[in-house]
Amino acid sequence: MTQFRKILKFELKYYFKNKIFVGITLFLVLAIAAVMFFPRAAGIFRDSRKSDTASELSVMLVKADSPEQTPLIEDAFKEAFPEYHVQITSKDASSIRKSITSGKAECAFIINGMTSYTYYVDNLSMYDQNTAIADGVLQNIYRINAMVSSGIPVEQAGSIMSVQIENHVESLGKDQMQNYWYTYIMIFALYMVILLYGQMVASNVASEKSSRAMELLITSAKPAAMMFGKVIASCLAGLIQLIAVFGSAILFYSLNKEYWGGNPIAASIFDMPPGLLVYMLIFFVLGFFIYAFLYGAIGSTASKLEDINTSVMPVTLLFVISFVVVMYSFASGDVDNLLMKICSYVPFTSSMAMFTRIAMSTVPWYAAAASIAILIGSAAGIGVLSAKIYRVGVLLYGTTPKFRSIIKAVWKA
Amino acid sequence: MILELQDINKSFGRKQVLNGLSFQAESGNAFGLLGRNGAGKTTSIRILMNVFPADSGQVLIDGRPIDYKKTQIGYLPEERGLYPKKLIIDQLVYFAELKGIGHKDAVKSVDYWLERLGMSEYRNKRLDTLSKGNQQKIQLITALAHNPDIIILDEPFSGLDPVNAMLLKDVVKEQIAQNKIVLFSSHQMNYIEEFCSNIAILNSGRAVLHGNLHDIKRNYVRDRLIVRTEYPEKIIADFGENCTRGENCTLFIQLTAPEEKKSIMKQLAAAYDIDELSVFEPSLNDIFVEYTHDTADKEDRS
Repeated sequence: MTQFRKILKFELKYYFKNKIFVGITLFLVLAIAAVMFFPRAAGIFRDSRKSDTASELSVMLVKADSPEQTPLIEDAFKEAFPEYHVQITSKDASSIRKSITSGKAECAFIINGMTSYTYYVDNLSMYDQNTAIADGVLQNIYRINAMVSSGIPVEQAGSIMSVQIENHVESLGKDQMQNYWYTYIMIFALYMVILLYGQMVASNVASEKSSRAMELLITSAKPAAMMFGKVIASCLAGLIQLIAVFGSAILFYSLNKEYWGGNPIAASIFDMPPGLLVYMLIFFVLGFFIYAFLYGAIGSTASKLEDINTSVMPVTLLFVISFVVVMYSFASGDVDNLLMKICSYVPFTSSMAMFTRIAMSTVPWYAAAASIAILIGSAAGIGVLSAKIYRVGVLLYGTTPKFRSIIKAVWKA
Repeated sequence: MILELQDINKSFGRKQVLNGLSFQAESGNAFGLLGRNGAGKTTSIRILMNVFPADSGQVLIDGRPIDYKKTQIGYLPEERGLYPKKLIIDQLVYFAELKGIGHKDAVKSVDYWLERLGMSEYRNKRLDTLSKGNQQKIQLITALAHNPDIIILDEPFSGLDPVNAMLLKDVVKEQIAQNKIVLFSSHQMNYIEEFCSNIAILNSGRAVLHGNLHDIKRNYVRDRLIVRTEYPEKIIADFGENCTRGENCTLFIQLTAPEEKKSIMKQLAAAYDIDELSVFEPSLNDIFVEYTHDTADKEDRS
């Protein structure tokens, strides 16, 4: 136990003294701070220029062909496009085009009759919704006109068209819209940290072997203490980095909450239930152990540091496949499909699959408990097995041994 | 304290590496573990250090199975290597702590050894900034800092300049004087002859020769004479196939029985012009070659 503690301390110190580790963590925290403080900073700039807010709005030119409809269209467009400064124009098409290309106006509508128009814009953005909004506006005007001409008073026609339907949604399970963003971020964080730190364990072991420090280590400490010390140290380092990044994000958000008030994505991200954070912690630690032990065992069988990338490929591939399966099901919204259900109990995939299902759907407690129990058992089993592979692997130099011969040697040991 | 390896067997796959290996080493003495490449030295050291267990046989201290919690072992492996990118003090203290000593004692001991080996100025430097010889001295500290009862030195002198070799010799002598068991494994026979009172020669996983070096030499059949002369032809002609040429004007005369020694020596001194005449006593190198040459070659051929 003392040996394990010493190894853990020594390995952990390695991460905290590692300039890249500290640098990346600081960079991430600073980047998050920049994002979180941005609305507040932007608010300050906006306040100082409050007087000319109107002129800041992009100009939208609107040309109607019949003068009697012009006031109606102007009112309707102004109401439908509050983020634009809507200007009625009587210029011809070519001068309207010129004002757009010269940047005086951002876009323009030239309306022919009430059922056809041409939309002019400099660069059509992927997210440009203006034509859809204009369609709705014109349809409304057309219908009101039709109703008025058939004898219905204007006010009545207006109230018919603007009738509001009240709806209430009660989600009895999870609201996927609400959970989407933070689940997405958590899965991604799990994926990145397990992959990065797992591979770090592999290269750490391989570099000890290639520098021959292993000769001394293996005669000074028990292989199980070495393996568990290394893996737990890198798990803690990963966890500390996650806590630093997520913690600072939550802290900076709560400092700037009022400035973010209206943003639904930000609200959705930071509205994660604490219970889910606990699940994330459990699945992160267990998933990490499984992969880090495998990476460590593989690192011990590589003779040269250069071999590591190819040696760890099968494990990395396994992890990437499980990530793809989870992400695919996650994006399609059907997180309870058969494949995901199977993946929730396979130790190599369950850390991500079960976590996604818990976050995005309703999973009975016993299913979550079974998945966690399988993960704990497998992590312990793989830990012991990889410590055995480590003991055999670190003493094998020369060409990378074949999988079968390692298993044979481990069996014998 | 007596360290004893008793009838150790070990095989890797189908290859039998140790085949009933037995030897004894006692404290206050240096013990030489000799053998050709692949004879089983490293495997026996690893079994002794409990890196892996023997298939059968025992490692005993004073007749009882070794307790690794009570008996500390220091090891200088033949394959040198520490953490190249880490501070020297950090890694030396780490290795000492892994052997079970407390942090403060580890720092104190490491500082003592850095001073003793003239390496104090490198205390807070990274290992890869040091020359190869100095790195080797740092590695030696990992074998000594935890004050072990048994010190295993595998090729300790390789790569050291004469001044550093002298320093290491002094350190080894100090350790022997402190009643430690020092186990040498080396191919540099002159160092083994200088330090080791007892040796074991390993061949094909067995100790083919084992005991006190002086006694081994004395017990060698004294049936060969060395003659140094400027005029060898006459002696060669008279002694026929019993006489063979050596280097630097020397001749070896093989006697049919050790008892002939006195009469033949008298005869040689009286009849020939001889500069030097003595009974042949083999060097450790000769003994090593004699005991390992044939079998190892046969092994290679098989």
